[in-house]
Amino acid sequence: MRAVLCKEFGPPTSADRVTIEDIPAPVPKPDEVVVSVKAAGISFPDVLLLQNKYQYTPALPFTPGSELSGIVKSVGMEVKGYKPGDAVIGKNKGCCAEEVAVPASKLWHLPAGVDFNAAAGFSGNYATSYYALRQRANLQPGETLLVLGASGGVGLAAVDLGRMMGARVIACASTAAKLAACKQAGADELINYEIEDIHVRAMELTGGKGVDVIYDPVGDRFAEPAARSMGWNGRYLIVGFAAGAIPKISFMLPFEKRCALMGVWSGGYTQRFPRESYDNITELVAMLAVGKIRPHISGIYPLENISEAFRALANREVIGKVVITTGK
Amino acid sequence: MRAVLCRRYGPPDSLVLEDMPSPKPGRGEVVISMRAVGVSQANVLIVADNHPNKRALPFIPGGEAAGLIKEIGEGVTAFKPGDAVIGAGKDGGCAEEVLASVDRLYLLPEGMDFTQIVGAGSYATSLHALRDVARVKPGETVLILGAAGGVGLAAVDLAKQMGARVIACASSPEKLDLCRQYGADELINYDGEDLRGAIKKAGGDKGLDVVIDPVGGKYADPAVRGMGWGGRYVIIGFAGGFVPDLPLNLPLLKGCAVMGMSLHRLAQHDPQAAKALRADVIRLLAEGKIRPHICATYPLEHTADAMNDLRLRKVLGKVVVVAGGA
Repeated sequence: MRAVLCKEFGPPTSADRVTIEDIPAPVPKPDEVVVSVKAAGISFPDVLLLQNKYQYTPALPFTPGSELSGIVKSVGMEVKGYKPGDAVIGKNKGCCAEEVAVPASKLWHLPAGVDFNAAAGFSGNYATSYYALRQRANLQPGETLLVLGASGGVGLAAVDLGRMMGARVIACASTAAKLAACKQAGADELINYEIEDIHVRAMELTGGKGVDVIYDPVGDRFAEPAARSMGWNGRYLIVGFAAGAIPKISFMLPFEKRCALMGVWSGGYTQRFPRESYDNITELVAMLAVGKIRPHISGIYPLENISEAFRALANREVIGKVVITTGK
Repeated sequence: MRAVLCRRYGPPDSLVLEDMPSPKPGRGEVVISMRAVGVSQANVLIVADNHPNKRALPFIPGGEAAGLIKEIGEGVTAFKPGDAVIGAGKDGGCAEEVLASVDRLYLLPEGMDFTQIVGAGSYATSLHALRDVARVKPGETVLILGAAGGVGLAAVDLAKQMGARVIACASSPEKLDLCRQYGADELINYDGEDLRGAIKKAGGDKGLDVVIDPVGGKYADPAVRGMGWGGRYVIIGFAGGFVPDLPLNLPLLKGCAVMGMSLHRLAQHDPQAAKALRADVIRLLAEGKIRPHICATYPLEHTADAMNDLRLRKVLGKVVVVAGGA
């Protein structure tokens, strides 16, 4: 079977960063399921992994890709609940291959009729944003949600989920094209923060009350003006620092506004609360199946063109999510 | 009647005692003949013009006043002259007669000691912080900065009653001993040792579930770093003199929340909640469930001495200013 391999760390945009090779098909361990992969999701952390700039160093060679969709090919001896032929999605390392062994605890059944490409590319981003908006912020219908970096993977998921949860969504991004994607995902209001002042616009849009929840995956110079736009009892969700610098916020701000600056680390939540974390994705799959959420896939690349996909990610041309298909 | 006035911002010694005309209650107002009034570090900072709640000059400093109603204004039906009450004045409470609106006035049970109920004022802040903001659960670890101060000691007392394991931080053995008497399980003298290491050790493998911080300043950073997964850090004030900044990667990695509160703002945004809170504290005191520690009482003409004690960090628990033979 074919698999994508990275044999050496280096620039993610070089064409020989990864190769496609024939390697032996995996055999399931007792608690594993081997999935015949239809599609695999790749994201910005994969770009960092190729350069050895991520939170951990993978052993070489390694296969990128952190999520997949496909059909169960074989199951290990101890696996219950899955059988060959079942449609599934899974989360694991090394998903960019035609066959991948996944622990059964990281698989979810995919209802009939759900698009394999959409299903492959949504669980990572949506799991983060759902945990943030639901467990952390407890976002309520009618509340105002402001999303920074709204056209990125987790940002667009937050816009979509905010809409689904009945919030009024204010999307902030840096270009008209990105904001158009946010509008399509259901944003009610748009702020172009290259040309508009986030704080001034957010206060205008809320009639001076300030916003209830802020979703911030970018940090840097965007955090402070956003935080100053919090309303009474507001929740500021700290998701990441994609824009570069780690911002600092004065203690005066939560004191005056009675708001909360809340850390959101989805991986840490999954480690500590595997059950709840698993159930979140089960709920998201059900929402996907009935069309309550609408993940945005910006590019679908066949396995052999994966270098192009990495280039698009590395050059930040991607809105939403990129999916690799095996043709199976 | 006599009142303490702040005519220029500065240290407590710049306050003056003056004779003023007695206030006249307007519609929905009463005049309280003050028996006891609380002063806090916040009052000291406001007099120094070094607090987020700015006051225009001249003003009367001080917190809530307890005493007997002297006179009622038009439309006041729930209170009558002679009633024992506690309430926030339109101005501060350091005056023999305090004009107050009935919206923020509470009837006291028969026989309640005026000095005690004023001394219990900090319990409202700490109760709100622990119960409503941090939502402390039994078995959780709660670290309290400035634990021998008014808010801090109330937090030690209440957190113990909520079943928490309490770590008290203060600046002297004498202060820590008082925290121990109020039930603190572990004591940290933060002026004497490696605070970051001591907090980490006291938090154990899990880290701190809750931090109550009325101090800010240089103690905030080691306290934030001691937080555990899902922790709640409650900012209550800045008695430490400066307002710290929070680097946002700290709450991210710990999955914790840094929150804030002020009763002043609560009363503006949610007057019903503020009222219920005050009623809770009166009830807790009446039932003997809380025991405010009053380290000194000063007569009105010595209000500056009370504030100097606070400024010099000499106060354990509360200082109360009294008048009219309370």
